[in-house]
Amino acid sequence: MDHIDTPHAVVMQGITKRFPGVTALENVTIEVERGKLHAICGENGAGKSTLMKILSGIYPPDEGLLLVNGVEVRFTGTRHAEQAGVAIIHQELALVEDLSVAANVFLGREKRTSLGLLDEQAMTAECGRLLVSLECHVSPRARTGNLRVGDQQLIEIAKALSLNASIVVMDEPTSALTENESVRLERTISRLLAHGTTILYISHKMDEVFRLADRITVLRDGRHIKTVNRIETTPGEVTGWMVGREIASRQFDTPRVRGPKLLEINNLRVPWPEHPRGYRLSEISLDLHAGEILGVAGLMGAGRTELLETIFGAIEPTWTGTILLQGKPVRFRHPREACAAHVAMVTEDRKRLGLFPDLDVAGNVSLCSLTEALRGGFLSRAREESLVAAPLRDTGVKTPGPHASITALSGGNQQKCIIGRWLLTKPSLLLLDDPTRGIDVGAKAELYSLIDRLCRDGLGVILTSSELPELLALADRIIVLSEGRLIAEFSRAQATEQKIMEAATGS
Amino acid sequence: MPHPEASPKISSLLRSSEWALVLAILLAVIATAVADANHSYWFEPFESIRDIARNTALLGIFALGATVVIIAGGIDLSAGSMIALSGTTCATTMLALAPLQMMGMKPVGPLVVIIACIASLLVGFLVGTLHTWLITSIRLPPFIATLATLVGLRSFARALCESSTAALTPTKSALINVSDPLFKTVRENVSIPVAVFGVLALITWLILTRTVLGRHIHALGGNEPAARLAGIRTDNVQWFAYCFGAMTAALAGLFYVANESVAAPVNQGRGHELNAIAAAVVGGCSLAGGVGTVPGTVLGAIFLRVVIDAVSKIIKTGADVYEGLIVGIVVVIAVTFAQIGEMAQGGRRLLPGGLGLCAIPTLAILCGAIATMTAGARAGMIATGVAVAFLSFVRLWESRRTA
Repeated sequence: MDHIDTPHAVVMQGITKRFPGVTALENVTIEVERGKLHAICGENGAGKSTLMKILSGIYPPDEGLLLVNGVEVRFTGTRHAEQAGVAIIHQELALVEDLSVAANVFLGREKRTSLGLLDEQAMTAECGRLLVSLECHVSPRARTGNLRVGDQQLIEIAKALSLNASIVVMDEPTSALTENESVRLERTISRLLAHGTTILYISHKMDEVFRLADRITVLRDGRHIKTVNRIETTPGEVTGWMVGREIASRQFDTPRVRGPKLLEINNLRVPWPEHPRGYRLSEISLDLHAGEILGVAGLMGAGRTELLETIFGAIEPTWTGTILLQGKPVRFRHPREACAAHVAMVTEDRKRLGLFPDLDVAGNVSLCSLTEALRGGFLSRAREESLVAAPLRDTGVKTPGPHASITALSGGNQQKCIIGRWLLTKPSLLLLDDPTRGIDVGAKAELYSLIDRLCRDGLGVILTSSELPELLALADRIIVLSEGRLIAEFSRAQATEQKIMEAATGS
Repeated sequence: MPHPEASPKISSLLRSSEWALVLAILLAVIATAVADANHSYWFEPFESIRDIARNTALLGIFALGATVVIIAGGIDLSAGSMIALSGTTCATTMLALAPLQMMGMKPVGPLVVIIACIASLLVGFLVGTLHTWLITSIRLPPFIATLATLVGLRSFARALCESSTAALTPTKSALINVSDPLFKTVRENVSIPVAVFGVLALITWLILTRTVLGRHIHALGGNEPAARLAGIRTDNVQWFAYCFGAMTAALAGLFYVANESVAAPVNQGRGHELNAIAAAVVGGCSLAGGVGTVPGTVLGAIFLRVVIDAVSKIIKTGADVYEGLIVGIVVVIAVTFAQIGEMAQGGRRLLPGGLGLCAIPTLAILCGAIATMTAGARAGMIATGVAVAFLSFVRLWESRRTA
C-alpha cells in the first residue's frame, strides 16, 4: 500500500447513482477511517446497498469520486475491486451450492499445480486454516449447499479473507443468523479489526450497530443525513435520522370488533423427511376470528411461511392434524381450492412468487378473477379495467394507469397491486407473508392502514413479519414459532419486542 | 385514465418490432424482384406467390403451436417427428379401412379420409398428453421430454409404417402412397392450406389475447410458481399448450401428406421443429416464456419463407441446401436486432477482448465461404475483405468509446 499515510481507507465523494425512474444515491460523501468499523444505517431503499455495490465494483457511479487508500479508482468489476483490496459479503449469498466449500472460497482464483492442474490439496488446506480461524467447524470438502446459512455466511467471509482484503463490506450479515452464530460473527469481526482490516457494516439493527461500530453514517432516500461517532449518539437519535420522523407505533389502538371464529388449527404437523428434525411444523394449534389480526413471529426458518403455505394448499398436503375453516374441516391440495374457499395468500417473495413481469398492472390485479371480466365468453379489456379500478383505488396504488408495466412501479405499489388482486376474490381469510419486506417506510405505513382497514371490514388476517414493531403495531395476538414449534402466544397488551425475541431465540 | 403511451389504433394492431418485420419482408421481396436473373416475380407473380403461400401456411400452422408452447414457458422439439407420425397414422388408417383402394391407387371415399384425419389429430392429442405427463408428473424438463419424443416418434412412425404395410399389403414398405382425390384437391388448391392457416391463426390469437386460458398461458410462462400460487391449475394450462403444439403439428402432417402424395416417415417433416421455433423467435417470442404474439409468429413465418425463396431464386442451386443456413442467420440477426437498443444502453461491446479478436476472422471466413460458394472466388475475396474491414472498424470504435 503506497498511500498508507492517509488515515482514510475509503473516501466516497459526491456519489450519485441513478436507475431508470429513481435516483438511488444523490451526492453522498463518506470518509471511512482505516481499521475501524463504520456502520451504514438506513431504512430499506435508503441506498445503503447501492452505495456498497459501487464501492465493490458492481455498479459504476454516475457521478463522484471513489478513493481507496488515498488513490482514486474506477472499478470495472468486482474482480478489479478485489485486487484493490475491497471485498463484499452480500446479503444474498453468492455461493455455488453444488461446489465444495474450498472450491467456493477460491472460485475464479483457483490455485494450480506446476502442471497447471487444480491444486485441490493446497486449496483444501488453506481453506481449512481460514475456517478454523473463523471458528467454523465444517469440512472444506463439504458441499456448500448442505450447510446452514450461518456457516455459508462464514464461508463468504473466508473468501474475503483469502483475498487478503483490507476493506470488507458486510451487507446485513446477521439477517439470517441465529443468536449463537451472530456472537461468533462478532468475534470474527473483532479479530479482523485487530488485524487492521477496515469494515463497512450495513445494518438497521441498532443493538448490533451500537455494540460494534466506531462511526455511524445514516442514509435516507439516497441522501447522506449524518456521520457521527458512536459514543456521541444514541440508538433513538439514529433511528430518528433514519426515518426522518418519530415512528408512531401502536397507531391502530382502537379495539377491533372480534367476529365469529374463522379458522381453527389443531395439532398440525408437517413432516419433513429429508431433514434431521423430521418436521417443518409440529404440534401447532391456533385459532383466528373474523376481524382479528394474528401475528406470527419467528426467525428465518422457524416455519412461518410453511404455516401459511399449509393452510393455503401451496405445498403437498402431507400434513396431519385438523384445519377447520368456518367450522368445516379443509385440506386444500392446490391454491385453486383455497381461492374457491375464499382464502387468499400474499406471498413473501414478491418478485419470485407474486409478480407477473410480462403482464401490465391491470393483468396482474385481475388474474384471479378473470371470469368477471368476460363478455360473451371473451375477455373484455374494458370490463377488466373497470374491474381493477376498485381495488387499485382501495389499496391506493399509485400508477400511471392500468396499462402501466408492473415492473415500473415501486415495491410498495407492486405489493398493493397483489393485495388488490386477492381482494377481488372476496376473501374471508387473508394470509400475509412478510408483506412489507423490501418496501420503503412511507409505503409501509400505508400498507399498515390498509391491513387495519381490511381487518375492521371483517377479514381474518394472519400476518407474518420479520420486523417485530410491525407485529406489535398491527396484531391483536402474536404467536411465536421457533424451529417449527409454537413456543409462545402473547396478547397485544402483553407483547414486547424483548419477550418475543427471547421466545424466538429460545433464550 | 390517460396513459403516456396512448397510441392510435393502427399501431396497437402490430408492435413496432412487428412493423419492422413487415418492412423486412417488403425489402426481401423487392431485393428478389431486382436481383433474380429470371425476374420470376415480374413474369410469374402468381407462381411465386403460390409457392411462398403454401410453404408459409405449412410452416405457420405448427409455428402457431410452437408459439403457444413457448409463451407458456415450454419448448416442443418434437413437431417434425409429430408431422411424420401424423402422416403415417393417416395413411395407415386409410390402408386399414380401405386396403384395396389404397393399393389400387383408387379413391377411398370421404368418410375414410375424415376418419383418418381425425385419427391423426387424436394421435396429436395423445402425444401432447404424453409430453405434459412427462413434464408435470415425472418433472422432466420440457427440453428433455420433447427431445425424447423427437427421436422416438419418428422411429415409431417408421415402425408403424413398416409393420402395417407388412400386415396389410404384399410387401413391407417405408412409405405409403396416398392418391385419394381429396388430397389431390388440397395439393392443387393452395387456398385450402392458406385458409386453414388463417383461421387457425385467428383462433390462436383469440385464445391468447381474449380468453382466460390465454391469460393463464402468459402468466404461466412469465412466472410459473407465482401462477400456481395465484390459484391457476398450471398442469392443465400446460396440458392445453402441449396438446395444441402436437395437434397443430399433426394438422400440418396431413398437409405434407397431401402435398407429397405420400406418407414417408423417414424424411417427412425432418428438422421442421426448429423452423417453427425459429419463426416464433423471429416473430418476437422469448424462450424464457411469457412473451410472444400471433401476428409476430405469422410475420416470422412469412419472413423466413420469403428469404428462403429469395435465396433460391437468386442463387439457383438447390434452395434446400441453403435453407438451414438462412434460417440460422435470420434467427441470429432478428434476435440481435431485438436487443440492440439494450446493448447500446448497457455499454456492452460486440467484440470484447480476445474473444472479439477471434470472432473477426471467424465471421469473415463465414462470409467469405458463403460468398465463394454462391458467387465465385472473386466475390468470396471481396466479402472476406469487407467483413474484416468492417468488424475491425467496429472493434476500434468500441475500444475508443469505452477507453
